[in-house]
Amino acid sequence: MSVAIVDYGSGNLHSAQKAFERMARERGLNTPVLVTADPDVVRKADRIVLPGVGAFADCKRGLVGVPGMVEAMTEAVRGRGRPFLGICVGMQLMAGRGLEKETSAGLGWVPGDIDLIRPADPALKIPHMGWNTLDVTRDHPVLAGIPTGPQGLHAYFVHSYHLTATAADVVLAEADYGTRVTAMIARDTMVGTQFHPEKSQTLGLSLIGNFLEWRP
Amino acid sequence: MRLFPAIDLKEGRCVRLRQGDMAQATVYADDPAAQARAFEQQGFDYLHVVDLDGAFAGKPVNAAAVEAIRAATSFPVQLGGGIRDMRTVEGWLGKGVSRVIIGTAAVRDPDFVKSAARAFPGQVAVGIDARDGWVAVEGWAETSSLAAQDLARRFEDAGVAAIVYTNIARDGMLTGIDWDGTIALADAVSIPVIASGGLASLDDVRQLLSPRARKLEGAITGKALYDGRLDPAEAIALVRGTRAA
Repeated sequence: MSVAIVDYGSGNLHSAQKAFERMARERGLNTPVLVTADPDVVRKADRIVLPGVGAFADCKRGLVGVPGMVEAMTEAVRGRGRPFLGICVGMQLMAGRGLEKETSAGLGWVPGDIDLIRPADPALKIPHMGWNTLDVTRDHPVLAGIPTGPQGLHAYFVHSYHLTATAADVVLAEADYGTRVTAMIARDTMVGTQFHPEKSQTLGLSLIGNFLEWRP
Repeated sequence: MRLFPAIDLKEGRCVRLRQGDMAQATVYADDPAAQARAFEQQGFDYLHVVDLDGAFAGKPVNAAAVEAIRAATSFPVQLGGGIRDMRTVEGWLGKGVSRVIIGTAAVRDPDFVKSAARAFPGQVAVGIDARDGWVAVEGWAETSSLAAQDLARRFEDAGVAAIVYTNIARDGMLTGIDWDGTIALADAVSIPVIASGGLASLDDVRQLLSPRARKLEGAITGKALYDGRLDPAEAIALVRGTRAA
Protein backbone atom coordinates (compact mmCIF):
# COMPACT_ATOMS: atom_id res chain seq x y z
CA MET A 1 0.00 0.00 0.00
CA SER A 2 1.37 3.39 -0.91
CA VAL A 3 0.15 6.85 -1.82
CA ALA A 4 2.05 8.81 -4.44
CA ILE A 5 1.77 12.60 -4.37
CA VAL A 6 2.94 13.70 -7.80
CA ASP A 7 5.70 16.31 -7.62
CA TYR A 8 6.06 18.23 -10.88
CA GLY A 9 7.35 21.50 -9.53
CA SER A 10 3.96 22.96 -8.72
CA GLY A 11 4.37 24.41 -5.28
CA ASN A 12 5.27 23.12 -1.85
CA LEU A 13 3.82 19.68 -1.14
CA HIS A 14 4.86 19.54 2.50
CA SER A 15 1.43 20.36 3.96
CA ALA A 16 -0.26 17.84 1.66
CA GLN A 17 2.19 15.11 2.64
CA LYS A 18 1.76 15.88 6.36
CA ALA A 19 -2.03 15.77 6.06
CA PHE A 20 -2.00 12.40 4.26
CA GLU A 21 0.51 10.95 6.75
CA ARG A 22 -1.53 12.16 9.69
CA MET A 23 -4.77 10.66 8.34
CA ALA A 24 -3.08 7.37 7.41
CA ARG A 25 -1.94 7.14 11.03
CA GLU A 26 -5.30 8.15 12.49
CA ARG A 27 -7.14 5.59 10.36
CA GLY A 28 -4.66 2.90 11.40
CA LEU A 29 -3.35 2.41 7.88
CA ASN A 30 0.21 1.37 7.25
CA THR A 31 0.47 3.51 4.13
CA PRO A 32 3.67 5.28 3.16
CA VAL A 33 3.03 8.69 1.59
CA LEU A 34 5.58 9.37 -1.13
CA VAL A 35 6.14 12.76 -2.71
CA THR A 36 7.63 11.74 -6.01
CA ALA A 37 8.64 12.86 -9.49
CA ASP A 38 9.39 9.26 -10.50
CA PRO A 39 6.85 7.78 -12.96
CA ASP A 40 7.70 4.25 -11.81
CA VAL A 41 6.73 5.08 -8.23
CA VAL A 42 3.45 6.54 -9.52
CA ARG A 43 2.82 3.53 -11.75
CA LYS A 44 3.19 1.16 -8.78
CA ALA A 45 1.32 3.30 -6.23
CA ASP A 46 -2.03 2.15 -4.88
CA ARG A 47 -3.37 5.69 -4.77
CA ILE A 48 -2.34 8.78 -6.67
CA VAL A 49 -2.71 12.42 -5.64
CA LEU A 50 -2.17 15.25 -8.11
CA PRO A 51 -1.83 18.66 -6.45
CA GLY A 52 -1.42 21.91 -8.36
CA VAL A 53 -1.22 25.66 -7.88
CA GLY A 54 -0.90 28.44 -10.43
CA ALA A 55 -2.19 28.69 -13.97
CA PHE A 56 -3.66 25.68 -15.79
CA ALA A 57 -1.38 25.84 -18.84
CA ASP A 58 1.74 26.27 -16.68
CA CYS A 59 0.80 23.27 -14.56
CA LYS A 60 0.08 21.19 -17.66
CA ARG A 61 3.47 22.09 -19.10
CA GLY A 62 5.12 21.23 -15.78
CA LEU A 63 3.39 17.83 -15.66
CA VAL A 64 4.20 17.00 -19.29
CA GLY A 65 7.75 18.16 -18.58
CA VAL A 66 8.31 15.18 -16.28
CA PRO A 67 9.13 12.44 -18.82
CA GLY A 68 6.72 9.51 -18.62
CA MET A 69 4.60 10.98 -15.80
CA VAL A 70 1.35 11.52 -17.71
CA GLU A 71 1.74 8.05 -19.24
CA ALA A 72 2.29 6.49 -15.80
CA MET A 73 -0.70 8.31 -14.29
CA THR A 74 -2.93 7.42 -17.24
CA GLU A 75 -1.93 3.78 -17.09
CA ALA A 76 -2.50 3.53 -13.33
CA VAL A 77 -5.73 5.55 -13.10
CA ARG A 78 -7.46 5.05 -16.44
CA GLY A 79 -5.96 1.66 -17.23
CA ARG A 80 -5.93 -0.07 -13.85
CA GLY A 81 -8.47 1.95 -11.91
CA ARG A 82 -6.24 3.13 -9.07
CA PRO A 83 -8.01 5.69 -6.86
CA PHE A 84 -7.02 9.21 -7.83
CA LEU A 85 -7.44 12.56 -6.09
CA GLY A 86 -6.83 15.84 -7.92
CA ILE A 87 -6.46 18.93 -5.75
CA CYS A 88 -7.11 22.49 -6.98
CA VAL A 89 -5.33 22.84 -10.34
CA GLY A 90 -4.63 19.10 -10.07
CA MET A 91 -8.40 18.62 -10.27
CA GLN A 92 -8.67 21.13 -13.11
CA LEU A 93 -6.12 19.17 -15.13
CA MET A 94 -8.58 16.24 -15.24
CA ALA A 95 -10.76 18.27 -17.63
CA GLY A 96 -10.59 18.35 -21.40
CA ARG A 97 -9.65 21.97 -21.88
CA GLY A 98 -8.31 24.91 -19.90
CA LEU A 99 -9.13 28.48 -20.95
CA GLU A 100 -6.83 30.32 -18.54
CA LYS A 101 -4.41 32.67 -20.38
CA GLU A 102 -4.32 30.33 -23.41
CA THR A 103 -6.43 27.42 -24.56
CA SER A 104 -4.74 24.14 -23.80
CA ALA A 105 -5.66 20.50 -23.40
CA GLY A 106 -6.03 18.90 -19.98
CA LEU A 107 -5.74 15.20 -19.34
CA GLY A 108 -9.21 14.74 -20.83
CA TRP A 109 -10.39 12.35 -18.08
CA VAL A 110 -13.67 14.19 -17.59
CA PRO A 111 -15.48 16.44 -20.05
CA GLY A 112 -15.56 20.15 -19.35
CA ASP A 113 -13.75 23.47 -19.58
CA ILE A 114 -11.77 25.25 -16.88
CA ASP A 115 -13.17 28.75 -17.18
CA LEU A 116 -13.18 31.98 -15.20
CA ILE A 117 -15.59 32.25 -12.25
CA ARG A 118 -18.18 34.90 -13.12
CA PRO A 119 -20.10 35.93 -9.98
CA ALA A 120 -23.41 37.70 -10.63
CA ASP A 121 -22.48 40.19 -7.90
CA PRO A 122 -19.64 42.44 -9.16
CA ALA A 123 -18.60 43.16 -5.57
CA LEU A 124 -17.39 39.58 -5.23
CA LYS A 125 -13.68 39.57 -5.96
CA ILE A 126 -11.68 37.18 -8.09
CA PRO A 127 -9.79 35.14 -7.01
CA HIS A 128 -12.33 33.46 -4.81
CA MET A 129 -10.43 33.12 -1.52
CA GLY A 130 -11.95 31.84 1.63
CA TRP A 131 -14.15 29.32 3.39
CA ASN A 132 -17.36 27.87 1.95
CA THR A 133 -19.78 25.10 2.76
CA LEU A 134 -20.44 22.40 0.15
CA ASP A 135 -23.72 21.56 -1.56
CA VAL A 136 -23.40 17.90 -2.39
CA THR A 137 -25.28 16.43 -5.35
CA ARG A 138 -25.08 12.76 -4.32
CA ASP A 139 -23.50 10.39 -1.83
CA HIS A 140 -19.89 9.43 -2.29
CA PRO A 141 -17.57 7.35 -0.07
CA VAL A 142 -15.00 10.17 0.23
CA LEU A 143 -17.70 12.36 1.80
CA ALA A 144 -18.88 9.72 4.29
CA GLY A 145 -19.57 11.19 7.72
CA ILE A 146 -18.75 14.76 6.67
CA PRO A 147 -21.47 17.32 7.46
CA THR A 148 -22.24 19.28 4.28
CA GLY A 149 -24.94 21.75 3.24
CA PRO A 150 -25.53 25.24 4.69
CA GLN A 151 -24.98 24.04 8.28
CA GLY A 152 -22.07 21.83 7.35
CA LEU A 153 -18.29 22.16 7.62
CA HIS A 154 -16.29 24.61 5.55
CA ALA A 155 -13.68 24.03 2.86
CA TYR A 156 -10.86 26.42 1.96
CA PHE A 157 -10.80 27.78 -1.60
CA VAL A 158 -8.34 29.92 -3.48
CA HIS A 159 -8.93 30.01 -7.25
CA SER A 160 -10.09 32.16 -10.15
CA TYR A 161 -11.10 29.37 -12.53
CA HIS A 162 -13.33 26.34 -12.10
CA LEU A 163 -14.83 23.45 -14.04
CA THR A 164 -17.76 24.33 -16.30
CA ALA A 165 -19.73 22.71 -19.09
CA THR A 166 -19.13 19.23 -17.79
CA ALA A 167 -21.48 16.25 -17.71
CA ALA A 168 -24.05 16.55 -14.90
CA ASP A 169 -22.98 13.26 -13.33
CA VAL A 170 -19.38 14.49 -12.94
CA VAL A 171 -20.15 17.24 -10.41
CA LEU A 172 -20.17 15.95 -6.84
CA ALA A 173 -20.36 19.22 -4.90
CA GLU A 174 -20.79 22.91 -5.53
CA ALA A 175 -20.08 26.04 -3.53
CA ASP A 176 -21.90 29.36 -3.74
CA TYR A 177 -19.82 32.36 -4.72
CA GLY A 178 -22.33 34.56 -6.45
CA THR A 179 -22.62 31.72 -8.92
CA ARG A 180 -22.39 27.94 -8.72
CA VAL A 181 -18.74 27.05 -8.34
CA THR A 182 -17.71 23.46 -9.00
CA ALA A 183 -16.20 22.33 -5.70
CA MET A 184 -15.81 18.57 -6.21
CA ILE A 185 -16.00 16.14 -9.08
CA ALA A 186 -16.10 12.35 -9.20
CA ARG A 187 -16.14 9.74 -11.91
CA ASP A 188 -15.10 6.07 -11.85
CA THR A 189 -12.12 5.83 -9.48
CA MET A 190 -11.34 9.55 -9.70
CA VAL A 191 -12.18 12.38 -7.33
CA GLY A 192 -11.19 16.02 -7.57
CA THR A 193 -11.50 18.92 -5.14
CA GLN A 194 -11.27 22.54 -6.22
CA PHE A 195 -10.66 23.45 -2.58
CA HIS A 196 -7.56 22.45 -0.62
CA PRO A 197 -8.41 19.50 1.66
CA GLU A 198 -4.96 19.70 3.24
CA LYS A 199 -5.83 23.24 4.38
CA SER A 200 -9.49 22.62 5.17
CA GLN A 201 -9.16 21.35 8.72
CA THR A 202 -11.80 18.84 9.82
CA LEU A 203 -13.61 18.59 6.49
CA GLY A 204 -10.41 18.22 4.52
CA LEU A 205 -8.73 15.78 6.86
CA SER A 206 -11.84 13.57 6.99
CA LEU A 207 -11.98 13.63 3.20
CA ILE A 208 -8.31 12.63 2.98
CA GLY A 209 -8.91 9.81 5.46
CA ASN A 210 -11.93 8.61 3.47
CA PHE A 211 -9.92 8.73 0.26
CA LEU A 212 -7.19 6.58 1.84
CA GLU A 213 -9.81 3.98 2.79
CA TRP A 214 -11.85 4.21 -0.43
CA ARG A 215 -12.10 0.94 -2.33
CA PRO A 216 -13.92 1.77 -5.55
CA MET B 1 -3.09 30.79 -29.74
CA ARG B 2 -0.84 29.13 -32.21
CA LEU B 3 -0.43 29.28 -35.98
CA PHE B 4 0.58 26.01 -37.58
CA PRO B 5 2.23 26.28 -41.00
CA ALA B 6 1.20 23.33 -43.17
CA ILE B 7 3.16 20.99 -45.37
CA ASP B 8 1.03 18.62 -47.45
CA LEU B 9 3.06 15.82 -48.98
CA LYS B 10 2.32 14.26 -52.37
CA GLU B 11 4.93 12.04 -53.98
CA GLY B 12 7.62 13.46 -51.72
CA ARG B 13 6.90 17.09 -52.57
CA CYS B 14 5.05 20.00 -50.89
CA VAL B 15 1.77 20.64 -52.64
CA ARG B 16 -1.44 22.54 -52.01
CA LEU B 17 -4.75 21.15 -53.17
CA ARG B 18 -8.03 22.88 -53.79
CA GLN B 19 -10.86 21.36 -51.75
CA GLY B 20 -8.86 18.18 -51.38
CA ASP B 21 -8.87 17.37 -55.07
CA MET B 22 -5.67 15.45 -55.85
CA ALA B 23 -6.07 16.32 -59.55
CA GLN B 24 -5.70 20.01 -58.68
CA ALA B 25 -2.37 19.83 -56.88
CA THR B 26 0.04 22.74 -57.17
CA VAL B 27 3.63 21.92 -56.32
CA TYR B 28 5.13 24.62 -54.08
CA ALA B 29 8.43 23.05 -53.09
CA ASP B 30 10.39 19.99 -54.13
CA ASP B 31 12.20 19.74 -50.81
CA PRO B 32 9.83 19.45 -47.83
CA ALA B 33 12.72 19.48 -45.34
CA ALA B 34 13.95 22.83 -46.68
CA GLN B 35 10.42 24.18 -46.51
CA ALA B 36 10.05 23.01 -42.92
CA ARG B 37 13.37 24.59 -42.00
CA ALA B 38 12.22 27.86 -43.56
CA PHE B 39 9.04 27.79 -41.45
CA GLU B 40 11.07 27.17 -38.31
CA GLN B 41 13.42 30.04 -39.14
CA GLN B 42 10.46 32.34 -39.73
CA GLY B 43 9.55 31.74 -36.08
CA PHE B 44 6.73 29.20 -36.22
CA ASP B 45 6.83 26.83 -33.25
CA TYR B 46 4.73 23.85 -34.42
CA LEU B 47 4.47 22.26 -37.86
CA HIS B 48 1.39 20.60 -39.37
CA VAL B 49 2.14 17.86 -41.90
CA VAL B 50 -0.27 15.80 -43.99
CA ASP B 51 0.71 12.69 -45.86
CA LEU B 52 -1.82 13.12 -48.69
CA ASP B 53 -0.88 9.90 -50.48
CA GLY B 54 -1.12 8.18 -47.11
CA ALA B 55 -4.66 9.48 -46.58
CA PHE B 56 -5.75 7.81 -49.81
CA ALA B 57 -3.69 4.65 -49.36
CA GLY B 58 -4.73 4.18 -45.71
CA LYS B 59 -1.10 3.75 -44.68
CA PRO B 60 2.04 5.92 -44.57
CA VAL B 61 3.45 6.71 -48.01
CA ASN B 62 5.65 9.78 -47.52
CA ALA B 63 7.63 8.47 -44.55
CA ALA B 64 10.98 9.44 -46.07
CA ALA B 65 9.89 13.07 -46.45
CA VAL B 66 8.59 13.17 -42.87
CA GLU B 67 11.84 11.78 -41.56
CA ALA B 68 13.78 14.34 -43.58
CA ILE B 69 11.64 17.10 -42.05
CA ARG B 70 12.30 15.77 -38.56
CA ALA B 71 16.02 15.55 -39.22
CA ALA B 72 16.18 19.11 -40.57
CA THR B 73 14.18 20.84 -37.81
CA SER B 74 13.72 20.80 -34.06
CA PHE B 75 10.18 22.16 -33.66
CA PRO B 76 7.32 19.77 -32.86
CA VAL B 77 5.42 18.19 -35.73
CA GLN B 78 1.84 16.96 -35.87
CA LEU B 79 1.06 14.54 -38.66
CA GLY B 80 -2.07 13.22 -40.31
CA GLY B 81 -2.86 11.02 -43.28
CA GLY B 82 -3.17 7.25 -43.37
CA ILE B 83 -2.93 6.65 -39.63
CA ARG B 84 -5.41 3.84 -39.08
CA ASP B 85 -3.83 1.38 -36.68
CA MET B 86 -1.83 1.31 -33.46
CA ARG B 87 1.32 0.11 -35.19
CA THR B 88 1.32 3.24 -37.36
CA VAL B 89 0.69 5.49 -34.35
CA GLU B 90 3.58 3.87 -32.49
CA GLY B 91 5.75 4.08 -35.60
CA TRP B 92 5.27 7.82 -36.10
CA LEU B 93 5.59 8.72 -32.42
CA GLY B 94 8.71 6.54 -32.25
CA LYS B 95 10.15 8.54 -35.14
CA GLY B 96 9.78 11.73 -33.12
CA VAL B 97 6.46 13.02 -34.44
CA SER B 98 4.93 14.90 -31.48
CA ARG B 99 1.27 14.31 -32.25
CA VAL B 100 -0.61 12.08 -34.69
CA ILE B 101 -3.93 13.11 -36.22
CA ILE B 102 -6.41 10.32 -36.78
CA GLY B 103 -9.12 11.06 -39.35
CA THR B 104 -10.84 8.26 -41.23
CA ALA B 105 -10.18 5.69 -38.50
CA ALA B 106 -11.81 8.01 -35.94
CA VAL B 107 -15.09 7.57 -37.83
CA ARG B 108 -14.76 3.87 -38.56
CA ASP B 109 -13.19 2.81 -35.28
CA PRO B 110 -13.59 5.29 -32.39
CA ASP B 111 -12.26 2.71 -29.92
CA PHE B 112 -8.95 2.79 -31.76
CA VAL B 113 -8.67 6.52 -31.04
CA LYS B 114 -9.55 5.96 -27.39
CA SER B 115 -6.97 3.25 -26.86
CA ALA B 116 -4.33 5.23 -28.74
CA ALA B 117 -5.05 8.31 -26.58
CA ARG B 118 -4.76 6.20 -23.45
CA ALA B 119 -1.49 4.61 -24.58
CA PHE B 120 -0.05 7.93 -25.76
CA PRO B 121 -1.67 10.66 -23.65
CA GLY B 122 -1.41 14.14 -25.14
CA GLN B 123 -0.11 12.80 -28.45
CA VAL B 124 -3.31 11.81 -30.24
CA ALA B 125 -5.49 14.33 -32.06
CA VAL B 126 -8.60 13.72 -34.12
CA GLY B 127 -8.96 15.19 -37.58
CA ILE B 128 -12.54 16.06 -38.46
CA ASP B 129 -12.94 17.08 -42.06
CA ALA B 130 -16.43 18.22 -42.90
CA ARG B 131 -18.39 18.96 -46.03
CA ASP B 132 -21.56 20.93 -45.16
CA GLY B 133 -21.18 19.76 -41.56
CA TRP B 134 -20.92 16.07 -42.52
CA VAL B 135 -17.74 14.19 -41.87
CA ALA B 136 -15.65 13.23 -44.90
CA VAL B 137 -13.32 10.22 -44.94
CA GLU B 138 -10.84 8.38 -47.19
CA GLY B 139 -8.80 11.42 -48.17
CA TRP B 140 -12.08 13.39 -48.38
CA ALA B 141 -13.23 11.27 -51.32
CA GLU B 142 -16.27 10.04 -49.37
CA THR B 143 -18.81 11.85 -47.17
CA SER B 144 -20.28 9.95 -44.22
CA SER B 145 -23.70 10.36 -42.62
CA LEU B 146 -22.11 11.50 -39.36
CA ALA B 147 -22.31 15.11 -38.18
CA ALA B 148 -18.99 16.70 -37.20
CA GLN B 149 -20.21 17.63 -33.70
CA ASP B 150 -21.52 14.13 -33.02
CA LEU B 151 -18.17 12.65 -33.95
CA ALA B 152 -16.33 15.14 -31.73
CA ARG B 153 -18.55 14.36 -28.74
CA ARG B 154 -17.50 10.71 -28.86
CA PHE B 155 -14.03 11.75 -27.74
CA GLU B 156 -15.04 14.11 -24.92
CA ASP B 157 -13.31 12.30 -22.08
CA ALA B 158 -10.98 10.08 -24.06
CA GLY B 159 -7.85 12.14 -23.42
CA VAL B 160 -7.69 13.43 -26.99
CA ALA B 161 -5.20 16.32 -27.23
CA ALA B 162 -6.94 18.33 -29.95
CA ILE B 163 -9.43 18.29 -32.80
CA VAL B 164 -8.24 19.59 -36.15
CA TYR B 165 -11.40 20.80 -37.85
CA THR B 166 -11.29 21.37 -41.59
CA ASN B 167 -14.08 22.79 -43.67
CA ILE B 168 -13.37 21.14 -47.01
CA ALA B 169 -15.25 23.73 -49.04
CA ARG B 170 -12.84 26.39 -47.76
CA ASP B 171 -9.61 24.44 -47.98
CA GLY B 172 -7.14 25.88 -50.44
CA MET B 173 -9.68 28.49 -51.57
CA LEU B 174 -8.36 31.48 -49.60
CA THR B 175 -11.91 32.53 -48.77
CA GLY B 176 -11.42 32.82 -45.03
CA ILE B 177 -11.81 30.26 -42.26
CA ASP B 178 -15.29 28.94 -41.43
CA TRP B 179 -15.31 30.68 -38.05
CA ASP B 180 -18.98 30.00 -37.28
CA GLY B 181 -18.69 26.28 -37.90
CA THR B 182 -15.38 25.98 -36.10
CA ILE B 183 -16.51 27.93 -33.05
CA ALA B 184 -19.78 25.99 -32.90
CA LEU B 185 -17.71 22.81 -32.74
CA ALA B 186 -15.43 24.26 -30.04
CA ASP B 187 -18.52 25.18 -28.03
CA ALA B 188 -19.98 21.69 -28.40
CA VAL B 189 -17.01 19.86 -26.87
CA SER B 190 -14.28 20.50 -24.31
CA ILE B 191 -11.34 19.54 -26.47
CA PRO B 192 -9.07 22.25 -27.90
CA VAL B 193 -10.01 22.81 -31.55
CA ILE B 194 -7.61 23.84 -34.32
CA ALA B 195 -9.22 25.67 -37.24
CA SER B 196 -8.18 24.56 -40.70
CA GLY B 197 -9.09 25.38 -44.25
CA GLY B 198 -9.32 28.75 -45.93
CA LEU B 199 -7.06 30.97 -43.83
CA ALA B 200 -6.63 33.87 -46.25
CA SER B 201 -5.00 36.85 -44.57
CA LEU B 202 -4.11 38.67 -41.38
CA ASP B 203 -7.85 39.25 -40.91
CA ASP B 204 -8.27 35.55 -40.17
CA VAL B 205 -5.45 35.76 -37.63
CA ARG B 206 -7.26 38.69 -35.98
CA GLN B 207 -10.45 36.59 -35.88
CA LEU B 208 -8.47 33.86 -34.18
CA LEU B 209 -7.53 36.32 -31.43
CA SER B 210 -11.06 37.63 -30.93
CA PRO B 211 -12.92 36.69 -27.71
CA ARG B 212 -15.37 34.38 -29.46
CA ALA B 213 -12.48 32.21 -30.66
CA ARG B 214 -10.99 31.82 -27.19
CA LYS B 215 -11.79 28.11 -27.00
CA LEU B 216 -9.62 27.41 -30.04
CA GLU B 217 -6.03 26.28 -29.71
CA GLY B 218 -5.02 27.82 -33.01
CA ALA B 219 -5.28 27.66 -36.77
CA ILE B 220 -3.48 26.06 -39.68
CA THR B 221 -2.23 28.14 -42.55
CA GLY B 222 -1.25 26.72 -45.92
CA LYS B 223 -1.74 28.38 -49.24
CA ALA B 224 -1.81 31.94 -47.84
CA LEU B 225 1.76 31.45 -46.61
CA TYR B 226 2.98 29.87 -49.83
CA ASP B 227 1.33 32.54 -51.96
CA GLY B 228 2.72 35.35 -49.82
CA ARG B 229 -0.70 36.67 -48.81
CA LEU B 230 0.15 36.15 -45.17
CA ASP B 231 3.40 37.65 -43.94
CA PRO B 232 4.79 35.14 -41.44
CA ALA B 233 6.56 37.74 -39.28
CA GLU B 234 3.45 39.92 -39.05
CA ALA B 235 1.19 36.97 -38.29
CA ILE B 236 3.50 35.54 -35.62
CA ALA B 237 3.96 38.94 -33.96
CA LEU B 238 0.20 39.39 -33.81
CA VAL B 239 -0.33 35.99 -32.21
CA ARG B 240 2.54 36.37 -29.74
CA GLY B 241 1.45 39.87 -28.74
CA THR B 242 -1.88 38.57 -27.63
CA ARG B 243 -0.45 35.54 -25.96
CA ALA B 244 1.81 37.69 -23.80
CA ALA B 245 -1.06 39.98 -22.71
